Amino acid sequence: MINTEGMVAETAAKIYTDLCGREVPHEAEAGQYPQALWDALAENGLPLAWVSEENGGFGADYDEVFGAIWVSAEAASPVPFAETLIGNWLLDRAGIAIPDGASTFALLEGNTASVPFAGTADHVAVYDAGKNAIALYKTADASAADGQALSPDSDTRLDFSTATPVASAATNLSRRAVEALILTVRAVQMASAIEAALNLSIAYVSDREQFGRPLSKFQAIQHQLAIGASESAAATMAATQAASALARHADDPEKAWHEAVVAKVQIGHSVEAVTVPFHQVHGAMGYTQEYDLHHYTRRLWAWRDTLGNEHRWSKLLGAELAVTSPDQIWKGVTTGAWIAS
Amino acid sequence: MQRFNFPVVQPDPALEELRAELQAFLKEEREAGNFRPEPECWMASSDPEFSKKMGKRGWIGLTWSSQYGGHDKTALERYIVTEETLRAGAPVGAHWIADRQHAPMLIEHGTEEQKLDILPRIAAGECYFAIGLSEPGAGSDLANVKTKAEKVEGGWKINGQKIWSSGAHISHYMVAILRTSPADGRNRHVGLSQIMIDLSLPGVTIKPITDLSGDAHFNEVYFEDVIVPDDCLLGEEGGGWKQVTGELAMERSGPERFLSSYITLETALHQLQGKLGSDSQARLGKLIANLRTLRGMSWGIANLLHQGVSPETEAALVKDLGNRLENDLTLQVRALLNDLPEDEWSDEMRRILNIGILRSPPNTLRGGTTEVMRGITARQLGLR
Repeated sequence: MINTEGMVAETAAKIYTDLCGREVPHEAEAGQYPQALWDALAENGLPLAWVSEENGGFGADYDEVFGAIWVSAEAASPVPFAETLIGNWLLDRAGIAIPDGASTFALLEGNTASVPFAGTADHVAVYDAGKNAIALYKTADASAADGQALSPDSDTRLDFSTATPVASAATNLSRRAVEALILTVRAVQMASAIEAALNLSIAYVSDREQFGRPLSKFQAIQHQLAIGASESAAATMAATQAASALARHADDPEKAWHEAVVAKVQIGHSVEAVTVPFHQVHGAMGYTQEYDLHHYTRRLWAWRDTLGNEHRWSKLLGAELAVTSPDQIWKGVTTGAWIAS
Repeated sequence: MQRFNFPVVQPDPALEELRAELQAFLKEEREAGNFRPEPECWMASSDPEFSKKMGKRGWIGLTWSSQYGGHDKTALERYIVTEETLRAGAPVGAHWIADRQHAPMLIEHGTEEQKLDILPRIAAGECYFAIGLSEPGAGSDLANVKTKAEKVEGGWKINGQKIWSSGAHISHYMVAILRTSPADGRNRHVGLSQIMIDLSLPGVTIKPITDLSGDAHFNEVYFEDVIVPDDCLLGEEGGGWKQVTGELAMERSGPERFLSSYITLETALHQLQGKLGSDSQARLGKLIANLRTLRGMSWGIANLLHQGVSPETEAALVKDLGNRLENDLTLQVRALLNDLPEDEWSDEMRRILNIGILRSPPNTLRGGTTEVMRGITARQLGLR
């Protein structure tokens, strides 16, 4: 589940309310990093929420931490909060000591990987499926490719072939377990961002007058946003189902893989279905840097590429279903129990 | 701030046992040739013999008390029965509407006599109801009610016409919304009442309307000086509009809003197992992810209804998304079938696919059009 009323989530909500007003994401993009926001999160130990107590964290349940992630996406967090949570989760699973500061994560295929917040995070926790190992690198030690970034959190292609890890350890954590966590975190962020962008759109059309009356009174506008709202509700359901599966299978996250992939596919495909109407009703205003909408829509476009785009994952899921029985597919649809074990 | 209410509810082992029983029964019936699976089975496939079998097994009237022939079960058990029969494309059309909406209505508004007389027959799969909301020319404007019920000594005299009443030709009763007093100025919602009409009464004429698939499940129903007794007024005189909108919320979130065409996919999957190419796999993955998500939403609402909460907007969202998905499902199956040479398609596959296409237009119409659903959502968003 996504528990936004738990202690972890409520602490995060307070910090984001106090220190991440609507100007903060704008200032961050202009180069003014909100250090105070990060410091407050760190002082409260939030980035260590999923780290075990033995390793200096407080081993919080998945539910509340997802609530905190929801809140951070709602505030268009310009600091790598969710990314650090994932990075620290990986390190903890491999028994590697958690470094200070902000971290991020990468799932390595060969030598390179896409890394969110590569320019901001001090460290990157790298899961190498081929080697069944997790390693900690200084982000600056990997070489970065130059590319036009979709979002301010810029997924950057990093090459690890010449970098030396700070620490590394073998892990029995399966690739599917890692994918389940990363995809579920992204699903929660995306559902939250979709809802935030919906709310922004509702407020905008209620305020803005055209042809002598508020935009909200035009049926064409109402229907665009009703479609956005139905997609938003579906995204929230998909993310919640994935989060719930992870909470249920906390000891064996691999078992949450299918629900995480369902959320990835559902939400990845609905990005277009929401960003089009949300931008449409905002007109040219939504296309400007000064307005807030792009904090959400650019992140949505970037996040749907996490671990590959939705088409890749639709095919991965479909390939597995294509050889299973119709009975098993029906069981998955109705109960969330995807593969007979 | 917009936040919708869709709880995530985990499967319950007891419900899964019931599901297994249903599956075994449906498989046996199908293999014995007692029914041919069809899309839109809850509207267009009626078989009183099959309904009686469902009744005997205790799968109709699950939620009401045994005093009235019911089975003291929950709405969640009913949901499992509903989705399994839809999945199988079973001929459940005869009893569907009575079980879904008129029995609960009678429990709330009927007299003790009516409950004792009618409910056990519904639960036995022997008594069927038709909906009497639409009128000729009214379209989606449900409040445009011209059919009148006039107060007469000991009862009501009904004159007018209803249309699109599914199953009226085999039904025993219709619950109709009727004008019992003139509209109050510009408010057309006042003066409407719900009245239960015995369709065997003199003055009732039922004329079937044939649909695109050649099936004649819906009807025009004419009333000419039909006299019904006083106790056929359900609920409050003049309170019909409120009762109807409450009832519509209930019928909008059920599995029939997104699973009507599932049998088409299921039939195709039996043929295509292990044969899908790369593109088709991607289509299948997306389709199933959509279905899983929507089922989660619908199941969430079922659980809210179970707790006595009736979420009208959430129901409208499920209907809008669900109707789009059930139409998309048929289209996706057409695409998937490219992976199998046409001469290998079974006759059954071809039949089900064609019926599915011919019966797809009403998905986005019945129970409130997509446009009406979006209007409800827009109101909830504060835009209207």
